[in-house]
Amino acid sequence: MKARKVPGLDPDAPLADNAERIVRVRLDELCGFMPLVADPEEIVALHDMRIAAKRLRYILEITGPCFGPYASTATKLTKDLQDALGEIHDCDVQVPEAERFAERLLTADAVALHAAAEDAEDLDPALLKQAPHARDHAGVAALQTHLRARRQVLFDRFLELWGTYERKGFRARLEYAIGERADVAAEPHR
Amino acid sequence: MAKAADIDVTPREPYRRAGARIVRVRTRELFDHAEGVLDTGDIEGVHDMRVASRRLRAVLEIFAPCFPQSEFKGVLRDVKQLADALGERRDPDVHIDALRTFSRSLVAANRHGVARMIEDLEERQARGNELLAAELERMQQRGLHGRLLALADAADTDPEPEPDPEPEAEPAA
Repeated sequence: MKARKVPGLDPDAPLADNAERIVRVRLDELCGFMPLVADPEEIVALHDMRIAAKRLRYILEITGPCFGPYASTATKLTKDLQDALGEIHDCDVQVPEAERFAERLLTADAVALHAAAEDAEDLDPALLKQAPHARDHAGVAALQTHLRARRQVLFDRFLELWGTYERKGFRARLEYAIGERADVAAEPHR
Repeated sequence: MAKAADIDVTPREPYRRAGARIVRVRTRELFDHAEGVLDTGDIEGVHDMRVASRRLRAVLEIFAPCFPQSEFKGVLRDVKQLADALGERRDPDVHIDALRTFSRSLVAANRHGVARMIEDLEERQARGNELLAAELERMQQRGLHGRLLALADAADTDPEPEPDPEPEAEPAA
């Protein structure tokens, strides 16, 4: 997902003023994925939301100390959100990988059994024991089951987490915090 | 995982000066992690370098308007390519680790298939390592380290003052 362009950035203007503009856009991008991603089938949107969370987290990690105190809390919350979305994404990558792997094993076994049947009228089920991957299918099926169920568990946890953020006013409080300026006495060493 | 250095920032310092300072720190962190990154026996090395590459990419994007655009685009492209190569190595590392943990929870009879999948991923890991080795070589040939520092220096340089407007010609008497 390409990041939305941030208008009005000025290299010679104060860091906090530029960072405020960037955070506003990145926060809006992140929050814009709801309610779409409440649908567990929206895998691509969920992946894009993870990228949006990552972008917001990085700008907050760097420039959070310029803003009001809630920016620091929001940095941690954004990281937690990114982690939750990352774990779901891992499942979304691993589920099809495991499916493809299972399919490869099935195909290889079918080819081997076809060859083993030679000129038989029909396939003898007893030949299944000779299939090269006969011992492998159960473990791969268990993995697929685990990954699918884990994805559902993690998705439920993500919805709960987002619900908490909404109830606690994550967006409004961060928007307020980035309008504040931290009272920093000394300029950094160059 | 190696923690990124905390970098002091102040609200009023110029955006481009903060950018220069932060890019220097994140560049140093990236190259500090390059040593031993091709060792598949130590998966933390590649993880640390990958995280450092992501952080560097993020600061380049955050401070993009502070850099000369012609140089910036090429540097960002190279950093992205390096991050992708690190990902090609890291992704199978993570997956293998997760599968080993999962396998321990299975009854013995069900472990064969997972072990087979781990073997498959180890082949991918080896290919990822070859790709990463080539990318590290390419990064050196293209002088990425020096180009990143040059970008930071450019952001730290005061802009050329606007030339005074030409005095208007005296009207002819």
